[in-house]
Amino acid sequence: MVSEEVLRTHLQELRRGTVVVASLVALRRPDYGYALLQRLAAHGFAVDANTLYPLLRRLEDQGLLTSEWNTEESRPRKFYRTSDDGQDVLNRLLDDMTAVRSSVTELIEGAER
Amino acid sequence: MSSLTDRYVAATMRAVPAQRRLELADELRGSIADMIDDRTASGQDPASAEREVLTELGNPEQLAARYSDRTLQLIGPRYFLMWWRLLRLLLTWIPAIVGVLAGLTKALVDGEPGAAIGTAVVAAMQTAVQIAFWVTLVFAVLERTRTPLGLPEWTVDELPEETRDRQISHSDSIASVVFLLATIGLLVGQHFQRWTTDDGTRLPALDPALWSFWLPALIVVLLATVGLEIAKYRSGRWTWPLVAVNAVLNVAFAAPVLWLLATDRLLNPELVERFAWLRDGGTVEFARVAGAVVVLVAIWDVIDSAVKATRAAR
Repeated sequence: MVSEEVLRTHLQELRRGTVVVASLVALRRPDYGYALLQRLAAHGFAVDANTLYPLLRRLEDQGLLTSEWNTEESRPRKFYRTSDDGQDVLNRLLDDMTAVRSSVTELIEGAER
Repeated sequence: MSSLTDRYVAATMRAVPAQRRLELADELRGSIADMIDDRTASGQDPASAEREVLTELGNPEQLAARYSDRTLQLIGPRYFLMWWRLLRLLLTWIPAIVGVLAGLTKALVDGEPGAAIGTAVVAAMQTAVQIAFWVTLVFAVLERTRTPLGLPEWTVDELPEETRDRQISHSDSIASVVFLLATIGLLVGQHFQRWTTDDGTRLPALDPALWSFWLPALIVVLLATVGLEIAKYRSGRWTWPLVAVNAVLNVAFAAPVLWLLATDRLLNPELVERFAWLRDGGTVEFARVAGAVVVLVAIWDVIDSAVKATRAAR
């Protein structure tokens, strides 16, 4: 039986890149930090706030997200949206996830034979 | 008094680049408020909700480092191996050389042989600390500025030829060479840096007459032993020819010393005259102890080399 610690590190490694994918997908509908965090959590992506907020800034610096301040509501909030470049990168990432998925499936089937 | 949130935001902003502070502060403050609101809406009291949210966000300096994409390590994987290799390279030779030079200077130029070993050790240690500090500082700066060094990539041609483990370690060889050179330094040094007697006259410890042949001969044997150390290091292990040379060199050193001790020609006769206990049979006692030490060291060294050669031949 492997230890919880080992299992947790592997799961963490596996999940790391998927937060970017999930954020780029979710932000095709503009949203602010905490609302995005909750949406991701509701869909099974448990991200820490102190990981997600800096990640959004980084994706914005890389030009994959655009942002806009919304001052109409009770408090001003910064809304992020996936940019055209972000969409391109997202398509590539999704293709790659599909490729990984099908490779794993092939491997599993190959092993069973 | 400012709220915990104000203090948290201020602490985070202190560690991010100035040009982004204002906007980041507004956004972070808003995010914290959103998180607190969410908790109070489900019935939690505001004070404990604030505490919980800030605890969840964690150490503000760490959060700031994530915002500004800054490394939280002194030297990361990019430079670590290079740093470690350079440090080992510099630390193996330079402190030892500086130590020997400082010790010899203290003994020969300043005329204080008693303080030579202490001076040598202190100088070597200070040099080692200085090297470690400056090398690490330079690499830590490189890490922070992410300077590409443009060094060639590793290639298979760099693989060491040797596939077996070395029997003769780097540090052992260096220690031996340093010890041999220090012994030569001592033999030469005792002549110029003399023993100070009570009446202020200074005398060499060994008989100056020995310089006509025996002392140069012993120094040649010691230099040959340095050569043996280098040959041994290059071969990586004890071989039977090396054991034979080692035995010859040990005899070539021990035999003259024993003979000189036995015939009472090693110590400076003038020095013997000055000290009552040497005059009254002390030289015989000295010859016995020194002779025993020389014989034991030589025998031990030869047996040790033979055992290691047997082990290496397996």
